[in-house]
Amino acid sequence: MDKNFKRDIRSLDGVFEFVERFADTHGIDEATSFSMKLAAEELFTNFVRHNTGGREHILISLDVQDDRLIIRLKDFDVDAIDFEQETPPDVHLPLGERHVGGLGIHLVKSMFDSLTYDYTNRILCVTAVKNLEDTHV
Amino acid sequence: MFEIHRNANGELTFAGRLDASQAEKARKALDAVAESCTIDFAGLEYISSAGLGILLATQKRLSESGQCVRLAHLNRHIRDIFHIAGFDLVFEIE
Repeated sequence: MDKNFKRDIRSLDGVFEFVERFADTHGIDEATSFSMKLAAEELFTNFVRHNTGGREHILISLDVQDDRLIIRLKDFDVDAIDFEQETPPDVHLPLGERHVGGLGIHLVKSMFDSLTYDYTNRILCVTAVKNLEDTHV
Repeated sequence: MFEIHRNANGELTFAGRLDASQAEKARKALDAVAESCTIDFAGLEYISSAGLGILLATQKRLSESGQCVRLAHLNRHIRDIFHIAGFDLVFEIE
């Protein structure tokens, strides 16, 4: 199931509707649906904020294959974003030493089994995969 | 849809979905908080890193004057998010 979204934070209502419709259609449980919405939002907003010069729509693809949930976002004709170089936040620091921000990718990595990146021909593609064996799909 | 209300006890209540498109609304409300307060999450269905960042910034600001934000009635999905983010270590959760 694929859909293009205008690269604007105000597109998030449509992104959530898209994810909820997919989850309903595939009988995905509430906790997994929550994780899907979180991944879609965090990755989408990263694309919008990091590639402010981008003009193309952002493509979101959702799929279930062999008990694996796959969320893929593609951003066309954009500069690379090096997610791999982002230092993960230390979530065990005391309040005074905590930094605001940087949690989005950490949350997605924690809730999904893999998060991979590809940048080819100015197309940035990020794929999050969650094993559904232990959920009711 | 994301809504903020203040009840008769002075508690803030968050309801709906606190995503990046609604973060500014939450920021404005929390920037006006100067003393310890409780935020009731009973009606809050969803929160992402955008909302978490605003809560953390508020907690850090209030802590400088010995005040704090307390949170109540988190649903289990939001509790999970708080645990992953380490927010259960920096917020009092009722």
